[in-house]
Amino acid sequence: MLEYIKQWLAQRRGGSVGDLDADNLPTPKTAGDQPLSRCRLIVLDLETTGLNASKDEVIAIGAVAIEGGVIHLDDQFDLILRRPELDIRETVLIHGIGPEALTQGHETEDALLHLLDWMNGDPILAYHSAFDQKFLEKTLKAQLGYTLPHLWMDVAELLPAIFPKAETKGKSLDHWADFFGLEVSERHHAAADAMVTAELTLIALSTARRSGVKTLKDVTEKLHYQRRLQNMHRF
Amino acid sequence: MAAANQDTTRPQNTRAIMAFLREHAPFSNMDDTHLAHFAEHATLRFYGDGEEVLSPDDGVVKSFYVVKQGRIRGERHNEKDDRAETTFEISRGECFPLAALIGERPTRTLHRASGDTFCLSIEQKAFITLFSESEPFRDFCLRGVSSLLDQVNQRIQSKAMASIGASSSLDTPLERYALRNPIVCTPDLPVRKAVARMHENNVGSIIITDDNRHPTGIFTLRDLRTLIAEEKGTLDTPIQQVMTPNPCRLTATADAFEAAMLMAEHHFAHLCVVDDEDRLIGVVSERDLFSLQRVDLVNLARTIGTATHLRTLVSLRSDVSRLVDTMLAHGADSGQVVKIITTLNDVTVRRVLELNLKKDDPGIPFTWLTFGSEGRQEQTLLTDQDNGILFETPEGMTEDQVREKLLPFARKVNDELAECGFTLCKGNIMASNPKLCLSNNEWDDWFVRFIDASTPQNLVYSSIFLDMRAVFGPNEALQRLLEKVLVRIRKNALFQKMLAGNALQRKPPLTMFRNFRYLNDEKKHALDLKRQGLAPFVESVRVFALANGVGAANTLERIDELARKDVFDTKDANAWKEAYSLIQAIRMRAHQDMLAKNEELTNYIDPDDLNPLDRRILRESFRQAQRLQQKLEITYQL
Repeated sequence: MLEYIKQWLAQRRGGSVGDLDADNLPTPKTAGDQPLSRCRLIVLDLETTGLNASKDEVIAIGAVAIEGGVIHLDDQFDLILRRPELDIRETVLIHGIGPEALTQGHETEDALLHLLDWMNGDPILAYHSAFDQKFLEKTLKAQLGYTLPHLWMDVAELLPAIFPKAETKGKSLDHWADFFGLEVSERHHAAADAMVTAELTLIALSTARRSGVKTLKDVTEKLHYQRRLQNMHRF
Repeated sequence: MAAANQDTTRPQNTRAIMAFLREHAPFSNMDDTHLAHFAEHATLRFYGDGEEVLSPDDGVVKSFYVVKQGRIRGERHNEKDDRAETTFEISRGECFPLAALIGERPTRTLHRASGDTFCLSIEQKAFITLFSESEPFRDFCLRGVSSLLDQVNQRIQSKAMASIGASSSLDTPLERYALRNPIVCTPDLPVRKAVARMHENNVGSIIITDDNRHPTGIFTLRDLRTLIAEEKGTLDTPIQQVMTPNPCRLTATADAFEAAMLMAEHHFAHLCVVDDEDRLIGVVSERDLFSLQRVDLVNLARTIGTATHLRTLVSLRSDVSRLVDTMLAHGADSGQVVKIITTLNDVTVRRVLELNLKKDDPGIPFTWLTFGSEGRQEQTLLTDQDNGILFETPEGMTEDQVREKLLPFARKVNDELAECGFTLCKGNIMASNPKLCLSNNEWDDWFVRFIDASTPQNLVYSSIFLDMRAVFGPNEALQRLLEKVLVRIRKNALFQKMLAGNALQRKPPLTMFRNFRYLNDEKKHALDLKRQGLAPFVESVRVFALANGVGAANTLERIDELARKDVFDTKDANAWKEAYSLIQAIRMRAHQDMLAKNEELTNYIDPDDLNPLDRRILRESFRQAQRLQQKLEITYQL
């Protein structure tokens, strides 16, 4: 698997693995007037050993990139980290990554460097992004000492903001995927979950575009508004 | 590296796309490395409902698309009506735009998303790589989308052939069966010698011919049995005294199906095959036709036609269903199967009438009419009674007096037919209804009112009374009646227009934007194949047929006749016949499944229960129904 990643990285960047410079990693971008039709968005999903960010660990990273409103399948990230010391007995049933797959995974440090490089500082979308953000930031800090904050956006907030009238049967990723008739090729596989999240993002952004949402900033404002609305309902 | 191992090295999303592609032609025939090349170079795009995907204004086409979810419709501007027309639909797993991409030109049709749609696409470079490296892909692209339909047809046919053997297809011309030299004799030969000749040649029949080799009679082992059992003569009797004169005959170009139908109708087991000058070429037997299929059509028809009790007839109905099952399993065409069902139903109806006449003859000659699907010879196992009586009023009697005698008889027949499985008609369209037991003149008046003073309400009955046939009794009076009806309709443009408007009431179950349009809330995922699928064809075709003086009642025969009269384009006619037959085939298979599960027969199906191929066939067939209705709209400016 490493061979394969090396190859495509080499193809993409015109250099080989090992050339990465840990001191010169890309700087995260902020939400400005970039038109959505041109910017690159990362849609990411993590599989972890559990739900507790203070003691659980990341074991798999799946991500796809949306660029120009299109998902490019030659621009994706699908890695299992090499973390044999992790205890995954509790969650192995959910995501299907067994101890064997973990020992064959990638050197964590190496993989995270590649991830940062591949993400190129672009905004990151995830379903219930707070969860992924917490885990990824913790892991980046612990392994690489990297603390620059990426711009994160929550697809779980984006969807109800754009489809306020959608009668989904619940609020989970599965419910939204069902609502739009999407198929998840393998649920709880980081890359497959990232893919379906990205498909939902495409639907949401395409609909938003028709109601005048044009830039990255418009999206973040829409999300802020949605959050305020939620809070108002709460009190 | 092992294939399985190689597969795990591919990212999950690449594998998922490959798995998706593998479900569809031409990808299903392509190597994994080529599928991987596709998946790795693909982009996934989303189009909201109505969004343009490809337009003639976009310039030369540079991408190749596969629909991953949703639907794309091709839209062309109709100059005449100044509105957009859907020319084709592309659904999940299908590719576009082939012709433009290969021809390196812009597309000629605007491609629009129909419902929320995802498409996978590859750019020209990846397309060229696949085109040059993968033979199945290249074949597919060069032959275009039509090759897909070819594949479908080939698969259906090869299945049918595999099970019944190429030589026993019902479409096979008789000359292939009748190669064997027929055993013949002259009329004066004693029976003993004729039987000896049959024995020597190990055959069950002998044909009696005159000097010019024209068949004048047939003598079979069955006739021998009767001769001896009923002591009709000695073995020295000249054969012409005991033969069946004027044997049934067909020319060598007729096909096995026609032969089977003729045998079933008349309960013969042997038929003469003759040339254009009526000279005997051969004999074809029931066993020849059905030896491989083991379909005992003729025997069943004979058993029904000679049954002596109603309960025998009732018990034989399950044999009819089994026969249909076998025929469908052998890949018989749905048009043939409905004709067989109709023939067997006719035989049953006749036998019920004969048995009742034996018991209690009302003493007045009559013609037993049948309407609707039976009139069209399009019955399936789920069938209502739609019948009536036409009589000639004997001198010295009033019509009401005739009815007094005929109605109790008709009531009995209707009830007994119900016992045989022909459900009593809820609308009381039955011979025992005094309004449908009429004399020649009364029927004529009835049709005058129906056509010249038609209200929208009684137009509902057009599907019943304008498809009419005689099952029992003299046919001439009915023919005269029908001719008058046809002339009246041809002259009455308003009636035609009302009929056309009525035919458009039932729309094929396709929505503008989505997949199948389901019935209603109660039957969420149900389609009514009869009312929503077949009726649009039957009703539209009827309007064209009646307006153009086509006398046939059968929908497929009407389409053929309309094509011959240049009312329909030949290609359209074929597409409509095929679409109609395919819906019928799917409906009949569903009936057989219901019977197997002991469920009540309905015309409802859930398209989700069909395999993807049938689903697609069904959708395309419904689209053909829409096209036919469009033709009706244009013709009658509705």
